[in-house]
Amino acid sequence: MKGLTHFMSGAAVASFFLPAVKMAGAERIGGASSFILCLGGLFGIMPDTMDFKMGQFFTKSEYEIDPDPMDPSPQEMAEGLGKALDQAYDTNLPVKAQMYPMRMGADLWRQYVINFDGEANEVVIVINEIVTTSQVPILGSEPPPEKRIGRYKIKGKFNITHGRPSVVDIMSGPMYSFFKNDDGDMEIEFLPWHRTWSHSYVLGLMMSIPVWLIASMAAGWHIGWLYGLIAFLGFAVHLTEDLTGHMGGSLLWPIIKPRCNGLNLFKASNPHANFSIDYASVVIILFNLNRFAPVPMFTLNTFEYFLYCLIIPLGAYFSIVKIFGEKGKKAKAGVVAMEKALAREELEYEAEESMGGD
Amino acid sequence: MEHWIEILMYALAGTLLGGFLFVVPSIHFLNFSGVIIAIWGHYHGLFPADAPLTLFAFFMGMVVSFGIMNTIPSMFLGAPDESAVFVVLPGSKYMLQGKGYEAAMLTGIGGLLGILFLAIISPFFFFALPKLHVILGPHMHWILGLIIIYMLMSEWPKGTGKGETWWIKLKGAWANLFAGIATFGLSAFMGFLIFNRTMVPAKMGFQGLLPIFVGLFAVSSLISSILSKQKIPHQHITDTIDLDYKTMWKGWMPGCIGGFLAAYLPGVTGGIGGLIAGHACAQRDDRIFVMSQGVSKVVYYTGQFLLFFIPSYFFLNGAGLKRGGMAINLGPFYKPTLLQEYVFIFGVVVIASCISYLLLSFNSKWIIKLIAKVPYQKLSYASLAIVVVMVFFMPAMLEGTINSAVLIAGVQVIGIMCVSTCLGLIPIFYHCRRSNCMAVIIVPICISMAGYGPPLVNLLGLG
Repeated sequence: MKGLTHFMSGAAVASFFLPAVKMAGAERIGGASSFILCLGGLFGIMPDTMDFKMGQFFTKSEYEIDPDPMDPSPQEMAEGLGKALDQAYDTNLPVKAQMYPMRMGADLWRQYVINFDGEANEVVIVINEIVTTSQVPILGSEPPPEKRIGRYKIKGKFNITHGRPSVVDIMSGPMYSFFKNDDGDMEIEFLPWHRTWSHSYVLGLMMSIPVWLIASMAAGWHIGWLYGLIAFLGFAVHLTEDLTGHMGGSLLWPIIKPRCNGLNLFKASNPHANFSIDYASVVIILFNLNRFAPVPMFTLNTFEYFLYCLIIPLGAYFSIVKIFGEKGKKAKAGVVAMEKALAREELEYEAEESMGGD
Repeated sequence: MEHWIEILMYALAGTLLGGFLFVVPSIHFLNFSGVIIAIWGHYHGLFPADAPLTLFAFFMGMVVSFGIMNTIPSMFLGAPDESAVFVVLPGSKYMLQGKGYEAAMLTGIGGLLGILFLAIISPFFFFALPKLHVILGPHMHWILGLIIIYMLMSEWPKGTGKGETWWIKLKGAWANLFAGIATFGLSAFMGFLIFNRTMVPAKMGFQGLLPIFVGLFAVSSLISSILSKQKIPHQHITDTIDLDYKTMWKGWMPGCIGGFLAAYLPGVTGGIGGLIAGHACAQRDDRIFVMSQGVSKVVYYTGQFLLFFIPSYFFLNGAGLKRGGMAINLGPFYKPTLLQEYVFIFGVVVIASCISYLLLSFNSKWIIKLIAKVPYQKLSYASLAIVVVMVFFMPAMLEGTINSAVLIAGVQVIGIMCVSTCLGLIPIFYHCRRSNCMAVIIVPICISMAGYGPPLVNLLGLG
């Protein structure tokens, strides 16, 4: 799920607590209002914050592929990744490889695409055009055909889990972890540092303890527990929502370390799933603020409220999406450029074949 | 409705005047309204006393034309305002591809769709919003708190992550995050200073924010344009715009949500609202983003002023709803009370938006010709000169006279503009989000709504 979705869900969960809503209300007598409900949102986004702002920089990789921006060699890059795969195949141990972007100037980057070809069992690297930081390609800046594509045939066979090609251009590059599965096929784990230790209910519990202690010392032991509980629930709702996707998480780290798979209900970036949860969170927050208000403004019962405010609007939204929604997927510009380069290579190969005759 | 011809004429005057005026960088309708009100103070016949709606029709025309027209200084002249700053990145992408005109028209179409949204949502304004306001009113501070936390937490590292050690990697990656946090903290501090012990003459009222916003967004962008020496490619003017219904729908939805959030929540601008709504709808396409920002801006500016026209009898406390500087500036003169006045002013909105859309096309075309003839850097220098002169003479324009006091006030506002320019340059140089600068307004409002304002003011020694 997207960061905002986790954030909104965390705040929605916090709004279920009457004392928290009372403390947050500006009509509270005897002092300034509390920001306790924000704690749910803050801890809702915390697991991804720890991964993307901290965790990724502490993860070491056996292979670091840092191509020369002025004269990149796609063949060397493909070989670098391929050797990491071969090492994992030979040693039966996971091997990590970090790819870096190619920065050419303050505002210029060389774009490239990494593709793991499951049919040919090849690592394919295609160098694309130079792009600006806004990812606008500079037309005609791609390398000549002989310096554009690199291939490396791996020893084992791919069992592709991350099927999409990765476009690397601005700011940062991906990390992969390669390992051999029980069937002897090579697995590719995308961003191996993501959703591991940070996505654990145990860690959430441990992180909510300081919140409880600090809040208790500041606001009193009678109410400090609520701060800790809201922090934990915000954290927990993030992990639970992530289970709807493909990747899952290391839910009980450090007790059980491996990352479990998700339920594969939808992709984390699915706009409709994200929007639905964001909207549902707003509806829930309003419901709770109203029922905990000194004089509730609307008096619909729970069923009627959620029917009129959640189910019918979302039903209308999904009907529109169903009727007018996208049919098929739109590829990224970098992937389209890669496909064109590969198609041209194939055409040239076929042309050479036909010129050469039987 | 009596005086409808006068009202229509004033609406047209406001729209046309705004249509050409807001092409000039840094002229904001709030500042211009201050000047007009000051002139009205000297020449009472400017607006007929027996038709107070003429005043509102004039300014509504101006607000609508600003919402649509401010794309031009933001995109073509590199001088965005606080709401348009998010249009700049994808907008500059279009400019670099020679498609600036298309991007401008996309925001214009977005603006028209924003007006459509306001028409659809009007019944909600009468029957649901007043109730919603009773529920949300006491909780506004933490809702703003949520927005602040999300603005800070949702910015991700932009470093390449290269380095021998984890510390070098972390340091490189966190450079932009530190810059973002610093920008946010310093902007918030400046906001406290401005709101509690301002150097700007008190008479300037809302115009006191002019030098801050101009410094944070317009001057910093112009300096960046001058330093970067970027060459703008030939801009293509097309007869048609490549836009399908799906893209319109996808841009419309986040734009409406973002614009409405900004119109209703104090301290939140169209850009921030649009950013949050864009994340909620998880759309990544540039066309969708540009269009949604066009929707968001118009819904924000127009919707905010339109809220003022919801008859107060719909509200439990009978006080109505005042959002934004325009409603606060004009509130003392007249309070619309009839539903008929809302409908009439909405008619003004529709007429003004159609005229502004046509003017957007016209103005974009001649600006493109100007960019082709005059080197972009020279244009940036000229824009910068206009901005500085505008800011310096703002106190004089508001006073309607030139004397030593207003000239000293002019120097003071230039000083404030310089400080805020330095702040506005941090995000440009360190590649962090420019929305962090909005802490200048959102943090003081949030803290004072929560009731922590007075203790904090005392703590900072500003009391």
